[in-house]
Amino acid sequence: MSAAETRSLLTGNHAVAWGARLARPKVVPVYPITPQTPVLELLTEFQAAGGLDAEFLTPESEHSVMAACIPASLAGARVFTATASQGLMLMHELLHYASGARAPIVMANVNRTVASPWAFWPDQTDSLAQRDTGWVQLYVESAQEALDTVLQAFRIAEAVSLPVMLNLDAFYVSHALEPVHVPPQALVDAYLPAYAPEHFLDPERGESWGNVVTQDMYRRHRKSLGEAMARVPEVAAEADREWQALTGRGWGITERYRCEGADLVIVSLGSMCGTAREAVDALREAGIAAGLLKVRLFRPLPAAELRAALAGVRDVLVLDRNFSPGAGGVLHQELRGALYGMKHAPDVRGVLAGVGGVNVSAAMIAELARGARIEDIVPEAVWA
Amino acid sequence: MLQIIIQGRGGQGAQLAGTLLATAFFAEGREVQSFSSYGGARRGTPVSSFIRVDDKPIRLRCDIEQADALLCFDASLLEGKFLATAGPRTLIVVNSRRPPEHFAQALPGYRTLPVDGLEIAQRNGLGRIVNSALLGALACAVGGPALATLTATIAAETPKNGRENAAACVDGYGRIDSQLRKAAA
Repeated sequence: MSAAETRSLLTGNHAVAWGARLARPKVVPVYPITPQTPVLELLTEFQAAGGLDAEFLTPESEHSVMAACIPASLAGARVFTATASQGLMLMHELLHYASGARAPIVMANVNRTVASPWAFWPDQTDSLAQRDTGWVQLYVESAQEALDTVLQAFRIAEAVSLPVMLNLDAFYVSHALEPVHVPPQALVDAYLPAYAPEHFLDPERGESWGNVVTQDMYRRHRKSLGEAMARVPEVAAEADREWQALTGRGWGITERYRCEGADLVIVSLGSMCGTAREAVDALREAGIAAGLLKVRLFRPLPAAELRAALAGVRDVLVLDRNFSPGAGGVLHQELRGALYGMKHAPDVRGVLAGVGGVNVSAAMIAELARGARIEDIVPEAVWA
Repeated sequence: MLQIIIQGRGGQGAQLAGTLLATAFFAEGREVQSFSSYGGARRGTPVSSFIRVDDKPIRLRCDIEQADALLCFDASLLEGKFLATAGPRTLIVVNSRRPPEHFAQALPGYRTLPVDGLEIAQRNGLGRIVNSALLGALACAVGGPALATLTATIAAETPKNGRENAAACVDGYGRIDSQLRKAAA
């Protein structure tokens, strides 16, 4: 590869694979699942062609994939994997184990509906249902952001010793072919040096992981995990700033789009933010002071940033492409929690928009935003 | 922004056609977005490929509800939700051996341009692979990408029979070109 950045057409999945290749992982356990499969197809092609010096493991299930990721990571190897939907569900037990083991694994998850019924559409319920597993979660909007975020994810993961999951929506990002800048390897090597942890498993060293602990040891361990999580907003923002200094591309842990003087702010995750930008432009053109707040870092939820971004805003409309039965939209619930107790907090309305991959156009978002200003506020999310 | 939907059946190459079209527009310096949507990976089920082309980066992440052009690999798919994306100004290029008059009667109010992709494919030794011929037809109807860009893209990117596919693309382009000239005369 040349020293300069190259701009080529890549899908979100292939951009993830490029990001992973540039990160130089040593171990890549994978199991294929629609719509994630192109990630591992390209990674294995890289390896076969000699462009990626990593050990690939192809065990019999996603549960076994994560079971392979954890000890590889604890042995001091940089580990990457990818999954989607049912695969993530099957990993659930070991997601907790990975964060408890403080293993800085990076995993891409392609957001897809969870069964049953069986479907393949974009829906973020799969990853949002893992919000309590101790994984850092980032949501991306484009193929370029996906590539950049893989590299930032390793920086974050290895700085705080926690696993990081980056999430991209099925089809709208995973299968969308678009122009992507692929950074040169030397730039990435400078940004992300080889992983060299202080502690790692090695028979010569006599360290171990996985012993039975006392109540107090367990409590202290969980507390320490929480402290690591609390450092993430600052660490992630710094990782992003450094990336911006090197490439000119910064994404923020949250992003405010046309929020100056906005009295109505749309809040969402992932690919829907792209469409919402067009809706915001249309609303502004119609004389409505609308803006978009994109939540890129969802776990830990950057509450301070969200409160600062929404201070003085009258109306907030949360668009959730997920559904938690009995609770509603996950981002809606989380944002209300983050704003609780804030003086002059905005009115927060939640809409379940695009659940099951139903199409959400810019016109529909603009219409929902207009409605949000006049309808009564209710605690539950409303179905679009 | 130019918005195009390609609809085919699994195995016909509609998804690859979308990729090739986007690649050709990108080679001409345009901003592009192309994505496919499909259910189970089965041959014969409808597959949609959506292509957006613009002079500025494309931010929309949703389906195309109103298309500027449709490319339909199989006339039996020209109905329902897919046809609903077409308006009176939408150009519809459809793979069919039926004459334009048939579609003028069957689909009144639509601008339908049939092209016999199968005949072109067979003449170029491609069997049932119609996507290169149909891409040529679409490029002529839409006015882009340039035929030279498209054939170069096809020759470089197709998994095999690059020369034959490029020739089929030229033939498809020519069929629509003469159809449009005839209509204008």
